[in-house]
Amino acid sequence: MANQHPIPKVSEEELVQRLRARDTSAMSVLYDMYSPTLFGIVLQIVKIEETAEDILQEAFIKIWNSFDKYDTSKGRLFTWMINICRNQAIDTIRSKQHRVGNKTQDITANERAFFSADALKPEHIGVREMVDNLSPEQKMVIDLMYFKGLTQSEIAEEFNIPLGTVKTRARSAVKVLSSFFKGRA
Amino acid sequence: MHNEEYIASGILELYAAGGLSQTEMEEVEHRAATSPEVRRALNEACAAMEAYASLYATSPKPEVKDNIMQRIEAGAAPENQTLPGTEAPIHPLYTERTKEPSAYKWMFAASIVLFILSGLVSLYFYNKWQQAEDRLATVVASEQLLAQNFRNTSLQLQKQEETLSILRNPEFRPVVLQGVEAYPNASLMVYWNPREQKVYVDRVALPSPPAGKQYQLWALENGNPVNAGMIDFTNGEPSLQQMKNIGAAQAFAVTLEPEGGSTTPTLEELTVMGKIEA
Repeated sequence: MANQHPIPKVSEEELVQRLRARDTSAMSVLYDMYSPTLFGIVLQIVKIEETAEDILQEAFIKIWNSFDKYDTSKGRLFTWMINICRNQAIDTIRSKQHRVGNKTQDITANERAFFSADALKPEHIGVREMVDNLSPEQKMVIDLMYFKGLTQSEIAEEFNIPLGTVKTRARSAVKVLSSFFKGRA
Repeated sequence: MHNEEYIASGILELYAAGGLSQTEMEEVEHRAATSPEVRRALNEACAAMEAYASLYATSPKPEVKDNIMQRIEAGAAPENQTLPGTEAPIHPLYTERTKEPSAYKWMFAASIVLFILSGLVSLYFYNKWQQAEDRLATVVASEQLLAQNFRNTSLQLQKQEETLSILRNPEFRPVVLQGVEAYPNASLMVYWNPREQKVYVDRVALPSPPAGKQYQLWALENGNPVNAGMIDFTNGEPSLQQMKNIGAAQAFAVTLEPEGGSTTPTLEELTVMGKIEA
């Protein structure tokens, strides 16, 4: 828990190089840098801590084992890692939901639950402000995509929103977040 | 510009938010790999979502990192190479996740085994069937041969009975036809029933007729020859055969005639001749 601040910032290029050379210490750095965000995302998706821990482990093993598949030209390392974690987590809830048989429960009700359950952390106060700039509709769309793994067309279908509207909301939401982020950086 | 339109379309934001399908994602990645402009805009959108996601950042338990590092340092080997003490926390979900594929693997293996087994069984039965088919063919052939033999035998028996009935019938008069000077060894039996007018020839011992010629039987009534029919010589061993009906005769004679017979006998070709005993 305490290891979040004193992490030595290593450049992405250097990390990629060391990981390609199968340097296990690079994996330790990678974990320290990114595991809180990745774990947070996985936890938001699966909701159960033990399951989230298992998923995070498997995702990191996958990242290590299939690192040769990471192509720097296609995107950032962090984006690639997030995609692996999200896919792993979404596959898990999909297969579980499938088994239970209630594919579409009241997702919007759940949204509010996990939003409020999240503890406020000091370093996130700026981000919290930026979230306040999102309209509830915008937030709902990106949460459904990011934390429920629904595609734009699935959202349009399940919530009876025109596909164009889903697109517009997602785009404007990311734009709002992006402008805020750029303003701070 | 094309790239600008692409960036303005909002697809990069959808990518960052995770709202695209796998194929759409690959397309975006391809686009970003070829255009630095697109790549920059994509990074920006992704960074915004990551900043948003970091709102939920939670540090996992230290054991998680220990497990990961151990597994990686052990060559990312499967679970049996991790230390016994650390096995417990990762065990439950790990097995649950591997259960499904291995069940499919078993089903797959079982289906292959079943497939091979059924193939072998069908091969076995196919061979059995072929053998049975062969045997049946042999049996059918021998059965046909048997039936043929039976037909031949009953035909012979029928002829014998006919001959016997003629020989036993006192109304039949046996006439021995002896060979003339030119054919001393030739002979023929004629059985004649004056009441029924029936005429049979038997025990034909005549030289084989030359090509285009046939033996013809004549009945002599008061010196006039009456056609009594052609003697069938085709089957090599002529047995009893019925001739034309004759009402009255004092003698029988056989001459060699052109095929189909003649209306009057060619006396030069007279072969055998015999008088009816009064």
